Amino acid sequence: MKEGFRQAMAWLHTWAGLIFGWLLFAIFLTGTLSYFKNEISHWTQPEIPYRTLDTTASLSLAQRYLQTNAADAGSWFIQLPEARDPTLRVGWRAPGAGRRDFNEKILDPATGNQLHPRDSSGGEFFYRFHFQLQMPYPWGRWLSTFCALMMLVGLVTGIITHKKIFKEFFTFRPGKGQRSWLDGHNAIGVLVLPFHLMISYSSLVIFMAMVMPASISTMYGDNLQAYYNELFSRDEPVKPAGTPAPLVPLAQLYAQARQQAPGSEISWVEVQNPGDLNARVRLVRASNEGIAQNRGAGWLFDGVQGTPLKAPGEQSTPLLIAAGMYGLHMGHFAGPTLRWLYFVFGLAGTAVIGTGLVMWLGKRQLKHAKSGTQPFELRLVEVLNIASMSGLILAVAAFFWANRLLPVALEGRADLEVDSFFAVWGLALLHALLRPGRRAWGEQLLLGAVLFAALPVLNALTTGTGLLPAIAQGDWMIAGFDLTALGCGLLLAWMARKMLRPQVLAPKRAARTPRAAPLIESEVQ
Amino acid sequence: MLAIALFGFAAVAALCLAMERHYADLLGHKPTPRRLRGLRMGGWLLIAVALGLAVRHSGWAMGLVELSAVVMGGLCAWVFVLPYAPRLLLGLAAASLVLAPLALLAPY
Repeated sequence: MKEGFRQAMAWLHTWAGLIFGWLLFAIFLTGTLSYFKNEISHWTQPEIPYRTLDTTASLSLAQRYLQTNAADAGSWFIQLPEARDPTLRVGWRAPGAGRRDFNEKILDPATGNQLHPRDSSGGEFFYRFHFQLQMPYPWGRWLSTFCALMMLVGLVTGIITHKKIFKEFFTFRPGKGQRSWLDGHNAIGVLVLPFHLMISYSSLVIFMAMVMPASISTMYGDNLQAYYNELFSRDEPVKPAGTPAPLVPLAQLYAQARQQAPGSEISWVEVQNPGDLNARVRLVRASNEGIAQNRGAGWLFDGVQGTPLKAPGEQSTPLLIAAGMYGLHMGHFAGPTLRWLYFVFGLAGTAVIGTGLVMWLGKRQLKHAKSGTQPFELRLVEVLNIASMSGLILAVAAFFWANRLLPVALEGRADLEVDSFFAVWGLALLHALLRPGRRAWGEQLLLGAVLFAALPVLNALTTGTGLLPAIAQGDWMIAGFDLTALGCGLLLAWMARKMLRPQVLAPKRAARTPRAAPLIESEVQ
Repeated sequence: MLAIALFGFAAVAALCLAMERHYADLLGHKPTPRRLRGLRMGGWLLIAVALGLAVRHSGWAMGLVELSAVVMGGLCAWVFVLPYAPRLLLGLAAASLVLAPLALLAPY
């Protein structure tokens, strides 16, 4: 019975991993990139200058701009620059306007002048893709959430299948063909297991209202908005009084909030009914202060008197747990070291999926190695493996190249960047169809290496924020992007070299296979 | 955070050496059972020290996250570099054991 159970779990691990592996690889890779979402967005909009932070000054400039340009708006929004995001963004909505009817401008945080950065979704594209998969709402969310569930299934079945989880805890034996792939797959899976479990479980928690709506609809019926209002302790909007009254300087309210919570930063300001007697100002705390994100947390002020109406309160325990899961998944709280570790572990998750897919194919190809031909289904998996892994890497590179090469003033260029991402991905699929497996891998990886390694050069040639000027300015977001791209290029070059070199080890490995094969056979089906 | 990472890395090394096969591979001779037990206890003790430091420095929530992150990072570095540069890693583990208390005294 016990062996039967393990066999069944191995079967589930193998097939769930294969079917969902390709999509999970894309979700994990783009999700990993999203840990540097702000940095990527900053790189893709080099027209937004990097400035020393001065929240008080930025707030005053934003208020002056809105006062001049949107005095009769129904509500104002200000997104303040943060350490990882130099953008000062202001927005407003006309009285009674719908949710979509929204004006947004980007200002220079030092002068208050309007900036006209190139149109680009930047890091937001990868972030959105990793849970919406560029599909219409809500299908992409459902599919990616189901993939997350399958990842969790893969992890649990993987633990059950792995017989020597403690005995081989520290084991990695390179240069031994399939044996090494299995070692690598197991080691990355086991060593970073807490991260893998946290990421896949928390993604289910993030979408819990969508995945398990029963308890919510019992309590709230169809009024989902009431649930969210209560969840994030939002208040019903106040009606304007119709009597004009000047708004207090927002910087003054910021100073009050800072007095109550020294060391706290404000990232978002919302003004209801500006210029009216019933003006309300909400200051929302920056999201990097703790693990559990309290999205409703902030101060509410009377916008005319400047008197505090509400201070951030304590969260209830269930909400704290859900917010903690959300926070752990997003990693907004992470400083530079922790953020890099998040990035590395994200890549590790991607690698677990990738090595699994490679092994599925490698083991089955061995059986057909002598005949020289492979059945259709193996060729299909091979093509999909190549397109979904190295093809995706090429697509990411294409997005960044398009960002620098498309004319800055081009109409709809943000969409064209996304189009080039998918176009190159499609071309990679075509290339994988036309070339033999190993060659296709090698060629795509080589092209990826060139594209990534040349990104710093491209950046220096097309903008004024090349690697050296960025370092001189202290702008480590752009410098870090360039250096990381260079590092990725070198890594891909190393992988391409492995693939393109003729397999001199082949006869030796073939001789060793009979001894190693039964071992692998018994561990993974 | 540096001290936590160094203690964590030394702990990883000790726990790895506490396994007979790895001890023999890395140090070239068979360990006595007493030494293995000592290494295992030492390793867990180092983890406990790192946990204590992390919690004192950043509280339970952040402390646990930081500790797991640096230990997982240390494990990855140890396991995947070991086949290529075992002597380097042993040296680094010894160095981190020596430097960890010093990093604790550093002002930041």
